[in-house]
Amino acid sequence: MAAAVVGDRDVGLGARAVVEQVRALGLRSIRGTLRQPQVWLPGLLFPMFIAAVNTSAMGKAVEFLPGFDGVDSLLDFLLVASITQSVLFGGLAAGTDTTTDIQTGFFDRLLASPVSRTSILVGRLMGASVTGALQALVFIALYGAFGVRIAAGVPGGLLLVAYAMVLALVIGGFAALLALRTGSAEAVQNMFPLTFIVLFMSSAFFPTESMEGSYRSIASHNPLTWMVDGMRYQVIVGLDWSQAAMSLSWTAGLAVLAIFGANRALRARLRRAT
Amino acid sequence: MTAPAVAPPSVFSWVPLALALGRRSLLGIWRIPAAMVPLLAMPIFFLVAFSGSFSSLLELPSFPTDNVVSWFAPFAIIQGSAFAGFGIGFATVRDIETGFYDRLLLSPGSRIALLVGPALATAARALVTATAVLMVALVMGARIPGGALGLVMVLLASMGTAVISAGWSLGLVFRMPNQRSGPILQLVIFVCTFLSTGTVPLADQIGWTEPLARLNPLTDVLALARQGFVGEVTWATTWPGLVALVGGLVVLWTWAATGIRKLTP
Repeated sequence: MAAAVVGDRDVGLGARAVVEQVRALGLRSIRGTLRQPQVWLPGLLFPMFIAAVNTSAMGKAVEFLPGFDGVDSLLDFLLVASITQSVLFGGLAAGTDTTTDIQTGFFDRLLASPVSRTSILVGRLMGASVTGALQALVFIALYGAFGVRIAAGVPGGLLLVAYAMVLALVIGGFAALLALRTGSAEAVQNMFPLTFIVLFMSSAFFPTESMEGSYRSIASHNPLTWMVDGMRYQVIVGLDWSQAAMSLSWTAGLAVLAIFGANRALRARLRRAT
Repeated sequence: MTAPAVAPPSVFSWVPLALALGRRSLLGIWRIPAAMVPLLAMPIFFLVAFSGSFSSLLELPSFPTDNVVSWFAPFAIIQGSAFAGFGIGFATVRDIETGFYDRLLLSPGSRIALLVGPALATAARALVTATAVLMVALVMGARIPGGALGLVMVLLASMGTAVISAGWSLGLVFRMPNQRSGPILQLVIFVCTFLSTGTVPLADQIGWTEPLARLNPLTDVLALARQGFVGEVTWATTWPGLVALVGGLVVLWTWAATGIRKLTP
């Protein structure tokens, strides 16, 4: 059903049409990412390299330092960190691709077509989310080949994939927000150091128990610490729904915030365009 | 009719051009604020992040100091210096893409200036990095038991590493004169700095990184830089670092010097 689109409002599009548009735009987003290995490959290789180096160079830490109870190898500990790092870096592609769409005029052509405004954003974020799931599966499989076993078994693995998907919505949402507000790929890329800082100032690479002073305090109050710790519990200790709920609820809360902000940025851009 | 007599160029005629190029490169830091990120923000962030995240590593048996900032400050300086060299390479890519480098190559000046100028600028950039990181480290509580000699060693290692890194960067950029060289440059620098004793001493490393870190010349450079932060400066720790620096300079600036010929049609 072709429907008229007025200003920033979706008018008269059936639910089925919207779903179809989300699916098409989501698939376009995934294909766009997969066609650019230079975009997703560093996001896979860099966390693997960091994990491989740290496991070897700091491997003795699990024997000597606090906070590693029940950890057999540092690689077990770093599985969730690698997934998080990879998704955070990869999720920025959603924002960069949005700016590319704006700069190449594809975004304007979408606006001129009878496409649901919501599906433009949701399609892009769905693509980022599926890419996040693929990243999580790659890490689970590869680290599994190097001896990492998820103590929570298959449900734990599924929780990790779900976590990666929702986390991709968080970073993808914030990246889309910036992209829609500024239209500048450079502004989106400037999020990279920020994600790095948030990642380092958390328990992603080392437990907060082994940190000291104000740094420990910052890391202990960083939401990423709660998100990572809840998932790490599934890997190291075993299935625990309360830990999983804590992690996923924080991740989902941030995702809602990011998508809300991105949606507002989209509406603002649409108003400027009409 | 005889041609007007032209005085043969002096052996050091390239010096003014080299100084001008070095000055231009330094001015580029102030004109492009983004260039400050790898130069200052990144090493300072690494110092803070590593000192905070990995503070408990000092409890491992082989750490030679009980001050985590003293351990990580030289690593942050060396890493920042290596990225100062990368910055010179990337600035050269911009000059090649905008055609400025073609004009330099067509000018009657010596090619030596095109190599010495960036080398001087890199050393100066590294000095900025080292000074900034040192100040932050001292505020964070770093100690330098090696005194003034320890400071000289870390500055020497910093400038040497930056110039070596610039040689690597220019050599690659001359052979791959486009933005695609950027990730390769960064990746190699990252791998070299992490596969060393940057975070953990050799004796505490297990597995595959230990033999690689032992072979990595940057391990000796780090020891040269770090000695004044963890104890007294000794000749036994200094000379392997100096050998590594001289070896790196010879190999990678030969790579750069042979690379510039590939740019000339």
